Amino acid sequence: MKCSVRQKLALAGAATVIALACSSLAQAETPSWCGSKKATIALLDGYGGNSWRQVTTASGKQEALKCPSITKYEYADGQGDTQKAISDIKAMAAKGIDALVVFPDAGPAVLPAITAVYKSGKVIVPYRVEAGGKAGVNYNKFIGTDFKNDGANWGNFIKSVHPQGGNLLFLSGPAGNSQGLDELAGLKSVLGPEYKFLNPDPFDVTNWDPALTQKVLTAEIAKNNKIDVIVSDFGPSLVGALPLFKQSGRSIPALATSDGNSLGCFWTDVQRDNPDFKLFTVSTENDNVRLAVQWAVAEATGGKPPQEEIFKGPVFENSVTGKPHPVQCRKDLPGQIYLSAELSPEDQTKAVSTK
Amino acid sequence: MNKTVNETTVLPQLRHMFAMPHARSFLTVVTSTLALILVCLLFAPSSVTWGALSGSLPFAAIIAIVGLGQLLVVQQGGFDLSLAGSVSLAVVVSTHYPQGDNALLLTGVLIAIGCAILAGLANGILVSFFRLNAIVATIGVNALLYGAVFAVSGGVPKTTTTLLAAIAGGQTFWLPNAVYFALAALVVVSFILKKSVAGRRFEAIGANPLATRAAGLRVQLHQLLAYVYAQLLYCMAGVLIAGITREPTAFQGDSLLLPSVAVVVLGGTSLLGGRGFPISTVIAAFFLNQLSQFALAVGVPYSAQTIIQALALGFGIGVYSVRWTVNVTRQPKPA
Repeated sequence: MKCSVRQKLALAGAATVIALACSSLAQAETPSWCGSKKATIALLDGYGGNSWRQVTTASGKQEALKCPSITKYEYADGQGDTQKAISDIKAMAAKGIDALVVFPDAGPAVLPAITAVYKSGKVIVPYRVEAGGKAGVNYNKFIGTDFKNDGANWGNFIKSVHPQGGNLLFLSGPAGNSQGLDELAGLKSVLGPEYKFLNPDPFDVTNWDPALTQKVLTAEIAKNNKIDVIVSDFGPSLVGALPLFKQSGRSIPALATSDGNSLGCFWTDVQRDNPDFKLFTVSTENDNVRLAVQWAVAEATGGKPPQEEIFKGPVFENSVTGKPHPVQCRKDLPGQIYLSAELSPEDQTKAVSTK
Repeated sequence: MNKTVNETTVLPQLRHMFAMPHARSFLTVVTSTLALILVCLLFAPSSVTWGALSGSLPFAAIIAIVGLGQLLVVQQGGFDLSLAGSVSLAVVVSTHYPQGDNALLLTGVLIAIGCAILAGLANGILVSFFRLNAIVATIGVNALLYGAVFAVSGGVPKTTTTLLAAIAGGQTFWLPNAVYFALAALVVVSFILKKSVAGRRFEAIGANPLATRAAGLRVQLHQLLAYVYAQLLYCMAGVLIAGITREPTAFQGDSLLLPSVAVVVLGGTSLLGGRGFPISTVIAAFFLNQLSQFALAVGVPYSAQTIIQALALGFGIGVYSVRWTVNVTRQPKPA
């Protein structure tokens, strides 16, 4: 086949236009927080032993790799051992990793290690749990989570289903954990004195352990004839405990909590027999790590940092209004994934199946 | 003179009655439990309602089962600190292997039992043949078991199968199924310990290994087997926890180590070895569990809950330390 010069020119022109369009498309896909400087990044967990952390780790990796300037993504799990968490942080910096995103489970105990890494010129971004210290002195930025916002969201749901007031039961993790205290403050910012908390102040301690949750709920159900709403910041840990209501011949009450596939499927299975069981969830906030990664990558690669500094978990399910979503259940996938997360359910399944 | 006659006729009877340590430990633990129930009725009546009991009894059953396991080891003068690892391993094997598939549950449970036997043999060989201190040996094996927990699960919990949830978490004739498992374990342990030749030898060896060795008994073998039996009971408890809690963590055994030793002590078994009291141990498990339910039902802050439990436990152990039969067991002076 022979082509005339004019045809060749037209072809070349078309090819150029397509190439330019493709490159501009690629550029549009590169997020603004991703600069041009090449960098390596690591995510460090203080305790990585649950499915939430696995989904979060995979989410962090996905977010970091959106930026082509990131050449390597590493991960270390402190396994609940503060000493290991400290040495992980130092070891990553010594290995020459440029940016570190740290979940400081041990709190202020890891602050000296974080500060040392920051002073050595690396980018370090703690997130979700406060380690103390100040941005610009001990680390680049702390990306907190707005737990008060979660509490306020729950409070608004409670008001919508029990406008006249009612009896509430609030369950949180270990005694005195700041997440639970913030959530309580959020709840109280919305709810008046007509809403009575049945639990000991500030919340029933469950350590987020399903066995202890079950024991605590057993005692509360026996003690209180009328529980209108249960509020819990770890919904899936309630799945084993909620059938206790059936044993007492009562309907499961309304539940304001965080999402999880096992919880959504549990609701789907039992809601017909439990007329009072209305479910409202906020996101379990796996995507908190994405904001922290964006900040770390922006600092390390010279990109434009995001505007937000605090992650606000969105509302996820509402069984009453169906907005923003009705209750979700994927029976074909494991119970311990979080359908509210940006990471696709299939990728989450892969993440929680890796050992 | 009258007094002497009295002493010589009545005291031996009394002595006979109180010389049965089983009756003594049984009486103590039953009295304490009844007293606790009375306190519950007065101050936290909700904790003894049927709803509360049916919710908490499965956990009492778990403590009873691990307590029976620990009892067998304590009878041989040992301690089994690998309990935490072995319960956790049974939990993760019985949830991770089936991956929610009921058809694979039996294989999962059999693998868990296999692991338990291996761990028991490791403990037993180290303690009875290599003469390692039981605490040191079982801490080592516990670390190995936790290694296995991580290898199997990566430290991540899995949702249990529906079949296991129905078996372990269900109810039959108004009682939680876990209670039947605990009662079965109690019957088997009591029967073998008290009525079989092997069981009598086992107790005798625990009481005096040197004498029984001189009598020609296979001391090391019995000591070794104590750890294997214990592991089998821990495994049973682990599988039950996996069913009861639906989405158990990979470290579910951690919180059971202390209660397991506590119920053995509350049940009246000497930590130095010797006779064991399975029934008292099981009642002590109910006592301990009810105590924590009481603290929860009273609604005191979490810090006070732990203090109440610690105080009651200290009190319970203190009761045994006081030798309250000393007067009746003392030989009457010759007239």
